[in-house]
Amino acid sequence: MSEPSVTTVAPAWALAAVAILGALVVLAAALDGALTARGNDAASGAGGGVATPLWEAARLMRQRRRRTVEADGMLWRLGGAGLVVTAVLMVAVVPLGEWTIFDLDVGVMWFNAMDVMVWALVWLTGWGANSAHSLVGGYRFLAHGLGYELPLMFALVAPVIAAESLNVGRVAAAQENSLWFGLWMPVAFLVYCLGVVAFSVWGPFAPALGADIASGVGAELSGVDRLVFEVGRYALLAAGSAFAVPMFLGGGAGPLLPGWTWVLIKTVSLLLLFIWLRRRLPALRPDKFMELGWMVLLPAVLVQDLVVAVVMVWRG
Amino acid sequence: MDAFARSATRRAHVLLVEVPGQWRTRAAVERAVLTRGWSLAMSPADADVLAVCGRPRPQLEKATGLVWHQMSGPRVRVDVADDAPAAEALDQAQARLLGTEHHRHDSDSRPVAAHLLSANKGHDQESLNHGSMDHGDGDDGTMRHDGGDESGGEGMDHGSMGHESMDRGDEGDGTMRHDGGDEGGGEGMDHGSMGHESMDHGGHGGHGGHGGNGGNGGNGGNGGNGGMEMAPGGIALAEGGEDRDGLEMDVLYVRLGPVLPHWPAGLVLRCALQGDVITEAQAEILDAETQQRHAGPTAGPAAGLAAGPARILDNTVSLLALAGWEDAAAEARRVRDAVLEGGDRASCAVKLDRLRAKVARSRVLRWSLRGIRPLGHEELERHGLPPHLDGDTYDRLLGMLERAGDSNGKLASPLPLDKLPHLVTGLDLAAARLVIASLDVHELQPGHVHDETSGA
Repeated sequence: MSEPSVTTVAPAWALAAVAILGALVVLAAALDGALTARGNDAASGAGGGVATPLWEAARLMRQRRRRTVEADGMLWRLGGAGLVVTAVLMVAVVPLGEWTIFDLDVGVMWFNAMDVMVWALVWLTGWGANSAHSLVGGYRFLAHGLGYELPLMFALVAPVIAAESLNVGRVAAAQENSLWFGLWMPVAFLVYCLGVVAFSVWGPFAPALGADIASGVGAELSGVDRLVFEVGRYALLAAGSAFAVPMFLGGGAGPLLPGWTWVLIKTVSLLLLFIWLRRRLPALRPDKFMELGWMVLLPAVLVQDLVVAVVMVWRG
Repeated sequence: MDAFARSATRRAHVLLVEVPGQWRTRAAVERAVLTRGWSLAMSPADADVLAVCGRPRPQLEKATGLVWHQMSGPRVRVDVADDAPAAEALDQAQARLLGTEHHRHDSDSRPVAAHLLSANKGHDQESLNHGSMDHGDGDDGTMRHDGGDESGGEGMDHGSMGHESMDRGDEGDGTMRHDGGDEGGGEGMDHGSMGHESMDHGGHGGHGGHGGNGGNGGNGGNGGNGGMEMAPGGIALAEGGEDRDGLEMDVLYVRLGPVLPHWPAGLVLRCALQGDVITEAQAEILDAETQQRHAGPTAGPAAGLAAGPARILDNTVSLLALAGWEDAAAEARRVRDAVLEGGDRASCAVKLDRLRAKVARSRVLRWSLRGIRPLGHEELERHGLPPHLDGDTYDRLLGMLERAGDSNGKLASPLPLDKLPHLVTGLDLAAARLVIASLDVHELQPGHVHDETSGA
């Protein structure tokens, strides 16, 4: 285990990582725009909705920022901007084929720490606006968090046990010439995907931004503040998809093409799947989901971890 | 720069204000918004265009004005009369959104927040039954509760109830007594804040948090200094109260409506919230008197044979959207629009069947809506509610889709307004919104609210 499985590149390459993340965000938003336009029977003149991210960004940059009475402006904006930063920090430990920006020994824990940070950031966005609906939204997110976070942590444990390492590159390398972790630990993979959708406040996990509370956490956001918040959500979804690749989908493994292309292909596929799912499922109400999280998901991933551990001991 | 402004208006967000009785106009605007690739706004902060559907009467006009103040520029207001083509109104809105010079001027001439807050305070107090209630006395003021709580004739129920039949009067007792004990003055301020933002305000939640941190000391302080410190920036802090487990918990007064997506037109629900649980509520319909003096709301374009099914589908859209299922909500909207357009019956029926099957198939939806506010036959009868509201929220959703198939269906008779608080008290906001949407409200009938307040 002494041989590093990936090469650390110069820090300046972080800009490239941010650019890739940005491209993924635009791609995801474009697909979501197209699906929304189709669902609403939008006229073809509207361009099929693919240009939505462009127009939406222009609109929000032209719109004035707005603040509420006695808002905690700093914490409020910190929440939105923090989401983007968190997403960037997440992808920092994801190897793109054989290169990585940050070859951390405890990369998996790093990712986990980042996703916990999202709790604070989303809640702060809800709290800072000093508005009842926003605050209710913030607490809804925390309620969801109580349901998804522990299963997500234990889902991350499964590949770690199998790879005997917390280093993301090693986890990816452990799947070489063998079955992808996502295939032989499907429960962990599913719960992980659920967790990614949840910490991105996406789809069924969007009651924190629900129509019933005038978009909750986002109720008071306008202009650039809203733009940053929305970009942050897409970026988290993209970062979560990217992290799934070394953990569950064999990293850069694949025929013909070089490793980095496979990482991108797998990331994009998973991301588009998440986008597509958004409109198709009803919301998981936080109070109901809590029960599901603790009574079903948590025991299921624990059993998954046990199975993985037993298999490893038996093999070793 | 010009190209930038143009692309910025390619996807404007529109906040809808519906005048009671004008649901068809609202539906038309909604469709025009979506087919041109625009989006429906969920809050004033999110909106570029404020589309007022119908002619608002004074109270709703005032609320609309407050929403307007909360919109950030560039902003445009369009009034869509009942027979005007919606698409033209939106074209107009887009053209006006482009006028950068105008918007610059608009933002320079805005009133400051402090001015708005003080301008609205007085009005709120008098318009709030709550505000005129039992404040400023330290004893527990039982007498006053009967006068103060507004659900007519229900004062009689006092003391007779188990939880199920508990009515508003009873609940009022618990919380109100507490208020009386805790706070000396400053009540006016407190309630003053309830009204001033018609929609997404109430902002004081954040400070409620402070109160919690400070522990009970905060409460003691309240009684003493009343006034400024209790209302930083003119918005009152939450006050203390007992929650359903008898523990100390902040009570926050928040108004829901009248400008809120998927919400019955003209309805305002004044809620006392502990966390997001409604511990007490009071319903009001804006412009109730003026509305009755004018022609009945069934007049106008809403009267018609296809009205019933379309209206039910419209409410189905709301319920599905509130349940967070966008695909199904969009599909229900398409069916509604097909019915409203008077498309051929057979194809509408096929579309409706498909929607019904889709909804019935979803296990997640069933799991999510099952068990929310079940209503039995007796309870419905006792409250004078129609028998088709039988069952829980999921049953009511399926019932709506069932009734939407009756192509001769007429608009349902008005639902008595004073039953609403009873139906949502004790639920959290999400559940309360689902329940109200599941009632399939075609029109609300103002209760006897005014008689009671005058008796206070």
